Amino acid sequence: MNVYAPILVLGIIAAAFAVLSVGIAPFTGPKRYNRAKLDSYECGIEPTPQPAGGGRVSVKYFITAMLFIVFDIEIIFLYPFAVAFDQLGWFGLIEMVIFIGTVFVAYAYVWRRGGLEWD
Amino acid sequence: MTALTGAVLAQNALSAADLPQIGAPAIEYGTLSPVLAITATALIGVLVEAGAPRRARFGLQSAVAIVGILAALAATVWVSIHDLGKVSFEGTDLLARGKTVAEGALVVDGPTVFLWGLLLVFALVSMLMFAERGLEGGLSGFTGQAAVAPGGAGEREATMAGIEHTEIFPLAMFALLGMMVFPASNDLLTMFVALEVLSLPLYLLCGLARRRRLLSQEAAVKYFLLGAFSSAFFLYGIALVYGYSGSFTLAAIDTAVSNQIAGQNLLLAGMALISVGLLFKVSAVPFQAWTPDVYQGAPTAVTAFMAAGTKVAAFGALLRVFFVGFGGAQWDWRPLMMIVAVLTMVVGAVVLIRQTDVKRMLAYSAIAHSGFILTAFAGAYEGSAGTATITSVSAVMFYLAVYGFSTIGAFAIATLVRDGGGEVGHLARWAGLGRESPVLAGVFALFMLSFAGIPLTAGFMGKWTVFSAAWSGYAWPLVVAGVLTSAVAAYFYVRVIVLMFFADPEGDGPTVAVPSVMTSAVIAVTAAVTIVLGIVPGPVLDLAQNAGTFVR
Amino acid sequence: MSMVELTFLMLSGVAVFSALLAVSTTQVVHAALWLVLTLGAIAGCYLLIGAEFIAWVQVLIYIGAVVVLLLFALMLTRAPTGPDSATTTSNRNVAAAVSVLVAGGLAAIMVSGFAGERLAPPRGGVGSAASIGDAIFGTWVLPFEILSLVLLAALVGAIVLTRRGPERDNGAPGDVPERAQH
Repeated sequence: MNVYAPILVLGIIAAAFAVLSVGIAPFTGPKRYNRAKLDSYECGIEPTPQPAGGGRVSVKYFITAMLFIVFDIEIIFLYPFAVAFDQLGWFGLIEMVIFIGTVFVAYAYVWRRGGLEWD
Repeated sequence: MTALTGAVLAQNALSAADLPQIGAPAIEYGTLSPVLAITATALIGVLVEAGAPRRARFGLQSAVAIVGILAALAATVWVSIHDLGKVSFEGTDLLARGKTVAEGALVVDGPTVFLWGLLLVFALVSMLMFAERGLEGGLSGFTGQAAVAPGGAGEREATMAGIEHTEIFPLAMFALLGMMVFPASNDLLTMFVALEVLSLPLYLLCGLARRRRLLSQEAAVKYFLLGAFSSAFFLYGIALVYGYSGSFTLAAIDTAVSNQIAGQNLLLAGMALISVGLLFKVSAVPFQAWTPDVYQGAPTAVTAFMAAGTKVAAFGALLRVFFVGFGGAQWDWRPLMMIVAVLTMVVGAVVLIRQTDVKRMLAYSAIAHSGFILTAFAGAYEGSAGTATITSVSAVMFYLAVYGFSTIGAFAIATLVRDGGGEVGHLARWAGLGRESPVLAGVFALFMLSFAGIPLTAGFMGKWTVFSAAWSGYAWPLVVAGVLTSAVAAYFYVRVIVLMFFADPEGDGPTVAVPSVMTSAVIAVTAAVTIVLGIVPGPVLDLAQNAGTFVR
Repeated sequence: MSMVELTFLMLSGVAVFSALLAVSTTQVVHAALWLVLTLGAIAGCYLLIGAEFIAWVQVLIYIGAVVVLLLFALMLTRAPTGPDSATTTSNRNVAAAVSVLVAGGLAAIMVSGFAGERLAPPRGGVGSAASIGDAIFGTWVLPFEILSLVLLAALVGAIVLTRRGPERDNGAPGDVPERAQH
């Protein structure tokens, strides 16, 4: 349990920071609204238009989330590999290369099929 | 955060450098070559999808799939010659032949190799149906674009532009890979991974029909939800069995079960949950509800592939798990499996009588046949050295061969009876098919007779073997129930034949589309096999019998 | 009762409580957010029983990706997401009865299987990333490699089901790739 005490402390500090900065902003910050400030925020790009009549948000978000989840799962396996790399030797490396190879196949397919294009 | 954890952990846990260097795991590439060939085929398929120009893709993909399957078949034959050494125990040869490979993840033994051969042949035949483009005006039977709304402008545009999903071939190869690994798994974790590999592509393929797309999408969603549910049962069962035995490996589970190392409740619950997952895949009652909807909605080529392939894979896995892993507890599970077998036969046969749609009819027929196969499974006759009586494993494998060919053939014929809206599903519209196309109706009648188990067809030999195995296992009530339900089902099959040949056609009657050489080849091969296995079953039966029992 | 056991109990309580709220709340988005709390509490439980790597996987994959996917799925469909959006059918009571029965049955099995057993606290980094790495790249190498194919198949499926519009032709001469229309 003691092992995780620093993480717990870090978590508490992070939570306190988030709560504090959001909670204090209405009292201290200036309120000067303009069009750009009230626009929906989408990582700095022009907001993706909502489809008329069909669906609520674009299916493009869903593809992106799907791609993320698949690559996320692939990446998570890199961690035990990296930690145990010393004992695994060459064979472990080859296994990982094969594993990454299939990711690469997936990547090539998604890229060529336009899955990475936003519009 | 993780870096911090690592640093802190290093203080009081073993750090990675303290652990001994582990050796490279042993992977028997030669013995695994059929699986590796299908893996390579699937990967090449995805690369073709990424690299080849659109016009060339469909032909290229079907060629890749067919060549890959042929290579895997050749590899399977090679494995069956070279890698199936007799297993000895304390100096005496056992019935089992083969060995475990890949650090004990897979076991390549007689049944594995037989089932691999079956799966590859079924996949080969199904790929010919996938590749059929003669029935939809030069396009495949799969939707052009799955993402556009059914019946909308986008769909028409896609059809006009001749867009096709060629991913169906790599997806089918992934499913085939899962089917091959599933019955060969030597531990429950590998089996679960294989279950996912085989299920996921099939869920997708079910939703890609060109005609009646809403029905197809509904089928895909139903199959996906229920399938995911049953996978969860299977996984929970694995967890409970692990809690009981402390191992995922079937042999270790067997040891634990035979020695009754702990309270039986965990084991019983684990066995029940695992059997739910497996019985769902073979569509046994009471887990059959998805079967008619999915068989009807899915593209017919996919239905054929699924009906034959999934059944082979799931029965192979069912037999391996229960005979090898839970063999010591067979007096616990056999009574329950007997009830499931009887229920499956009765529900399948009785509901079959009321069917009016060809594909639903074949679905209930699939359920009834699962029941017949379950009789041999519940009989659990493992044979004894020196006698030639057919064992449960051999009987099930032979029946799977017989049933698979007949059902693929029947679905292939169902793709040919059409009108302006696509395939004609309603059986009443099949009236008078015998006048329109005597050959086609005759072949369909042959499959019906085989399903009914009439002598001189393969179906009769199949039924004879499973009932004989059940009899040897002292499960005679199952044999009685099986014969009675066969008679009920036979009534319906014969009625279909009468309808095709002696009823007056409704209106213009059905039209029979002229297929390309692909579907014609499928029908010819499956019909030939159905006749040959009925008249000279010896060679295949010997092959199934020589496969022996499972390697532990 | 040690500190670890107490924390474990508290976290399990949070997990069960938020799971109940997730199925009983009347707003679908809230249900997804309660799920986050359930999954997070379970991640904490994993940590306490020494399954360190699994705990981080739970946080990264389930909370970080699966729930986000779930929320996207909610926003994609035309179904409302406001108050009373979690529509219930007349099956509600039957479903509740079935889940209570199932939960009771599973609990009974667990109690009968493990009652009175004291499992030794994990030692020597059993659930650490290093030992999992050893297992994955040693004994379980084949299932591991097959797993990558599940992911590949899922990815192909995602593209098949969502890409629309005129398809880019892979490098056919003189063909300008057309933009998808939405």
